[in-house]
Amino acid sequence: MTVLNSRKALKPAPGEGTTAARARRRNGTSDGMMRVYQLVLAAVVLGAWELLGRAGIIDEFFFPLPSDILATVWSWISTGYVFPHLWITMQEALLAFAVGTAAGLFLGFLLARVRFLERLFDPFLQMFNALPRVVLAPIFLLWFGLGIWSKVAFGFTLVFFIVFFNTLEGVKNVDRVLVDNARMLGASEKQLLRHVFIPSALTWIFSSLHISVGFAITGAVVGEYLGASAGVGYAIAQAQGVFDTQGVFAGMFILMIVVLIIDLLVNRLERYLLRWRPVQSS
Amino acid sequence: MTLSSAGTPTQYAVELQGCTKQFSTPGGGTYFAVRDIDLKVEPGRFVSIVGPTGSGKSTILNMAAGLLKPSSGTASSFGAPVHGVNRRASYMFQQDALLPWKTVIENVSLGLTMAGVGKAEAHSEAQRWLEKVGLKNFADRYPHQLSGGMRKRTAVAQAWIVNPDILLMDEPFSALDVQTRQIMENELLALWQESGKAVVFITHDLDEAIALSDEVVILGAGPGSTVVGNYEITIPRPRDLLDIRDDPKFVELHREIWGRLKIEVSKTYEAARAEEGEVA
Ligand SMILES: Nc1ncnc2c1ncn2[C@@H]1O[C@H](COP(=O)(O)OP(=O)(O)OP(=O)(O)O)[C@@H](O)[C@H]1O
Ligand SMILES: [Mg+2]
Repeated sequence: MTVLNSRKALKPAPGEGTTAARARRRNGTSDGMMRVYQLVLAAVVLGAWELLGRAGIIDEFFFPLPSDILATVWSWISTGYVFPHLWITMQEALLAFAVGTAAGLFLGFLLARVRFLERLFDPFLQMFNALPRVVLAPIFLLWFGLGIWSKVAFGFTLVFFIVFFNTLEGVKNVDRVLVDNARMLGASEKQLLRHVFIPSALTWIFSSLHISVGFAITGAVVGEYLGASAGVGYAIAQAQGVFDTQGVFAGMFILMIVVLIIDLLVNRLERYLLRWRPVQSS
Repeated sequence: MTLSSAGTPTQYAVELQGCTKQFSTPGGGTYFAVRDIDLKVEPGRFVSIVGPTGSGKSTILNMAAGLLKPSSGTASSFGAPVHGVNRRASYMFQQDALLPWKTVIENVSLGLTMAGVGKAEAHSEAQRWLEKVGLKNFADRYPHQLSGGMRKRTAVAQAWIVNPDILLMDEPFSALDVQTRQIMENELLALWQESGKAVVFITHDLDEAIALSDEVVILGAGPGSTVVGNYEITIPRPRDLLDIRDDPKFVELHREIWGRLKIEVSKTYEAARAEEGEVA
């Protein structure tokens, strides 16, 4: 697993999707046609993989046939085997995400507004952020046991820093004149937070939301993989233990679909909450 | 400054006494933006501040608003020293200051809702103001969906709706085209007339300053600029802004004030040129 440096906050890219869509249209290919091309590309790659596997050119043991992977996925779903695991993983990810986001938002706002605290905490936060998070997994296993809490703690350390640094940047980058204007209109500190700082930081928080949702799930799965009694990571580790590569790929595939669906929902939410943003035409 | 009625001490809406503001520069030195500024604005008066760019006009306004603390000297409003933001003043900023995540009507009603007025009441009041500034059909737009002039008009409504005793306006119309600007100036005078509000209006356009004001204050070239001239504009009201530039009184005042302002403007220009020469 890569441990990104979450300090490097992502600049929000206003109206990214729409711009891309426009550019595509200008290049003469409609969205619908592009979908068709994408499907064709996927079919070609998967088909080649399948054929090469059947022809014995790539080793079926390490790269199981796509058809076998899908069959395994189907059997995991139809027998209901995967759902309890998925449910556990989702619980862990959701808890890690909720607690990590809440803590990141709170501390981000606090430190952005209180300069003294920011200067006080800065080196420590840098130190913890520099720590490759995977090394924490063993100690969390010892502290919190094999149950869900060790994974929640692990996911928390991933989510927290991303949300925290983005919130900090977001609040500190609020346009000075907007704050002054609100103050002149009689805003109290609380009203400033509500009407100016939170909406302004939202763009930053959202740009981190996609990553932090992914990291919450990553944290849960990696934690499970390293030691657990349930969860998709555990299921993958089980399959690996008996050299069942189809099972490993099936677990990966299911996770991928789940993350895609969640990302789609986050996109929806983002588009609704940031509807005031100008759509930039390039 | 004019004498007020029969010797009673005047309560100035805005009073700066010996205000100096210095900023620390990145190089570690100090930069005097303005020095020893005296400014008195009586309630109900329209006072313009004119000066070359960088002469500290915005700085003066920020001190009057309480957004900047003078390094020395005192800023007071209606007899009380300004602590924190001046609650009796509204401020129209030089830059766009509408909250981009709020619609026009939410922006305009913000001052009221934050003061605890119910949302329905605040919105109906805001709708009245939007009608006044000609934006009644744009209540649900976001600021980025408006033209520059519409944003300025929204800002006017936002500032006036809280019924302040003082209006601080920092080059509110300088980004607008000539026609829109004249319309806005007319609207502003109509709103201000008889409202009893004190207006401090910043512009670098002398025509605009003379046409609108009771008094024009000329600021010297920076750094450390100070008030170099103070002119009473005696053109009777109500004024017709469309023809005022042909008024002989206007022409005479313009010649007199421009004679003074020209010196400061060319000083700023020379300084900029000298700096360029040094760099080259
Ligand atoms: N926060 C600051 N830090 C350092 N210098 C500043 C700061 N704010 C203003 N200044 C300096 O003070 C001087 C006056 O600035 P100010 O914004 O008041 O000018 P202005 O008269 O409003 O100019 P303009 O007509 O271009 O708006 C400028 O030289 C500017 O560089
Ligand atoms: Mg200015």
